[in-house]
Amino acid sequence: MTGPQVDLEISRAWLVDPTAGREGPGEIVVRGGILEAVTWLSDAEADGIGPDGIVIAPGFIDFHVHLREPGNEDAETVATGLAAAAHGGFTTVCAMPNTDPALDEPSVLARIRAAAAASGSPVELLAHGAVTTGRAGEQLSAIGELADAGVVGFSDDGSPVRSAPILRSALAYAGAMGGLPIVDHAEEPSLTAGAEANEGYVATVLGLRGWPAAGEDSAVGRDLAVLADVVRDVPGARLHLTHLSTARALELVRQAKAHGLPVTCDVTPHHLAFTDEWLAGARRWAWEASDDPWSDGALVGPPYATSLRVNPPLRARGDAAACLEALLDGTADAVVTDHAPHTEVDKAVEFGLAANGISGLETALGVLLAAVDAGRLPLLRAIGALTVGPMSLLAGRSRRAAAGLAEGSKANLVVFDRSASWTVTPESLASRGKNSPLLGMDLTGRVLLTVADGRLAYEAPDA
Amino acid sequence: MNVVVDPAGGSTAVAVPSVDDVPESQPIAWRHRHLLDVDRLSTAELDLIMRTTDAMREVLARPIAKVPALRGRQVTILFYEASTRTRVSFEVAAKNLSADVVNIAAASSSVAKGESLIDTVRTVEALGAQMLVMRHSSSGAPYLAADIFSGSVLNGGDGWHAHPTQALLDLYTIRERLPGGSLAGRKVVILGDLLHSRVARSNIWTLTAAGADLWLCGPATLVRGFEAWASRGAAGRRFHLTTSVDEALRDADVVMALRIQRERMASGLLPSLREYAARYGLTRERLALARPEALVMHPGPMNEGVEIAPDVAAGSQSVITDQVTNGVAVRMAVLYLLAGTRVPS
Repeated sequence: MTGPQVDLEISRAWLVDPTAGREGPGEIVVRGGILEAVTWLSDAEADGIGPDGIVIAPGFIDFHVHLREPGNEDAETVATGLAAAAHGGFTTVCAMPNTDPALDEPSVLARIRAAAAASGSPVELLAHGAVTTGRAGEQLSAIGELADAGVVGFSDDGSPVRSAPILRSALAYAGAMGGLPIVDHAEEPSLTAGAEANEGYVATVLGLRGWPAAGEDSAVGRDLAVLADVVRDVPGARLHLTHLSTARALELVRQAKAHGLPVTCDVTPHHLAFTDEWLAGARRWAWEASDDPWSDGALVGPPYATSLRVNPPLRARGDAAACLEALLDGTADAVVTDHAPHTEVDKAVEFGLAANGISGLETALGVLLAAVDAGRLPLLRAIGALTVGPMSLLAGRSRRAAAGLAEGSKANLVVFDRSASWTVTPESLASRGKNSPLLGMDLTGRVLLTVADGRLAYEAPDA
Repeated sequence: MNVVVDPAGGSTAVAVPSVDDVPESQPIAWRHRHLLDVDRLSTAELDLIMRTTDAMREVLARPIAKVPALRGRQVTILFYEASTRTRVSFEVAAKNLSADVVNIAAASSSVAKGESLIDTVRTVEALGAQMLVMRHSSSGAPYLAADIFSGSVLNGGDGWHAHPTQALLDLYTIRERLPGGSLAGRKVVILGDLLHSRVARSNIWTLTAAGADLWLCGPATLVRGFEAWASRGAAGRRFHLTTSVDEALRDADVVMALRIQRERMASGLLPSLREYAARYGLTRERLALARPEALVMHPGPMNEGVEIAPDVAAGSQSVITDQVTNGVAVRMAVLYLLAGTRVPS
């Protein structure tokens, strides 16, 4: 099942090594799956090699994906999810436990590991365990057994950890057991019941039920207050807030970090690059958005596209800018895709009834590169947010992932053509989830090759 | 007989066909296949609808109020929400145009068995529907139907989002009854539960397009989100928002009260109907703040004694029954215009 070890020589490329904090022209040699040589070229040797040609980076790590197996294999399987990951340049993914049954005890973990092995994909599958049994929010899951079995964190994602006392227990219990993070989806359900779109101008005009920022901000406030309480007794307690989407929530984390609380967080490509005006039919990047898409001809598509329905919702441009700012100043430790594949049946319905989620593994690089192209994000930081950032969240739990280009290690890397564009179509996506709002749009940074654990994970058809 | 409409000119009357003309052959400058929203209708298009409505009013005044414009066409009225007046208004309008009308109340159909909207629309199309009038509780649902339906979709109200024909009949009624007939610079007030109101949202577009000095007013909990709209003024068309009913009503030319639903108390948005009536109800005393000839409107159904006092609703300034009558004419006009754009099969 497993592919052969890769032999590869690439000269005259642009190397990006976030671990070394370095990018520049160079060459690599992979033999028998081992990254044998990494050569950085001098300016004299570089001769026109720039960051807009072939780029080689460490394989990406996604701390937050949904692979839907077991229970909803029509939307995604471990095999198709790992194929999507490889197509997106990812060599390690961390599956969320909101499967059916939930990953709340080790047998479910064993089952998806078996599916990953059977797929033959060299992409590394890691997993989060549920915080509570059945993600029901009432009783702690088998946290100790799951930790022993190798989960990378605990999350009731899809839902927040509903009760504050349970969150408090989970932070303490997991924190005392090797410092695994509680990964919270910060949402106050009483403020978001029935909500459809970010509360504000666009939702008001479209008549969509408002999803207030306070629904996220208040949950972040609660989580940080509970964490501050727990760390006094359990210094190893760790909180990770995933897919933060509001300016205030990110500011709360910024302040908490400044006060030394053991909190980390991530943002998604869609929350930093798309805004709620897409719901009205706009398709411009957040940094190009205006206050009023109705007044400047920005509405190019039909409104109410259910591919845009996501939790948390796409926010206003100020929030998107705050996500990018958080990435730049390190408040956000990583970019995660929150890859959430859904079937056509679950999306081809009224907006208010559509499932939440965006299929994102295969478009994350292209979306971040759009920010790079716009001069909003340095390339090294974009790649760092997909490599060294999530690596730090894994706290050594990955046996393979390497955040840098280290000679002598098993090759985990992605090769992409910085200036080649590709059109996002249902056929172009390896994921079963075709629920991408980018369908029909062109992205730059076409992945040519993904090598995971020294083996070929993805190769572009004409590469 | 030909129908001649000059969308650029202001004075050309629309003649309604009295014989079985084929609308495709007529020079109607109507470019929309569906009527899903009013946000992208130009002033010229609104004028065209108004003038077509004039012609339909003339039809309604005939001894036999029926023309064969839609003869042989099937209009399916698919309502996912309970409604009497809008549904009946569409039905009468379609029948006045000689269409074959199929009525589907979603609660009594396979929808109750869990059929998806897309399947339902495909089914009614397979059963011969050429025009689909749809009401749905989910904002945006008509866009989903329009995406797969090969004929014309007419939005009869979707969620909180839009109620195009209500806004058009309101515009028509105001233009007809307001002295001078022009809304330019005239103060129009929409009073009440804006948050949940598709009528208010559609009226914002049409009334600002007509140049009205538009004021929205309601308790803070029921105007949530509208400040962001008012301050931008979608497409540069600004309006005013206030929680002060006195400020809103002072010197108003038109006052439109919106229905308050009892559920709003259960969801914690209002203390009580009594308090709402006392602070925001359109009473004779409050109406005295407006201009003496100010028009009183209500999209119905009314809670008399709550958002509007019975003597105001039935008073000399009320044009509420005109709204109902004009609703039929406007819906005839819209059905007629949409039918004209349909590609002959």
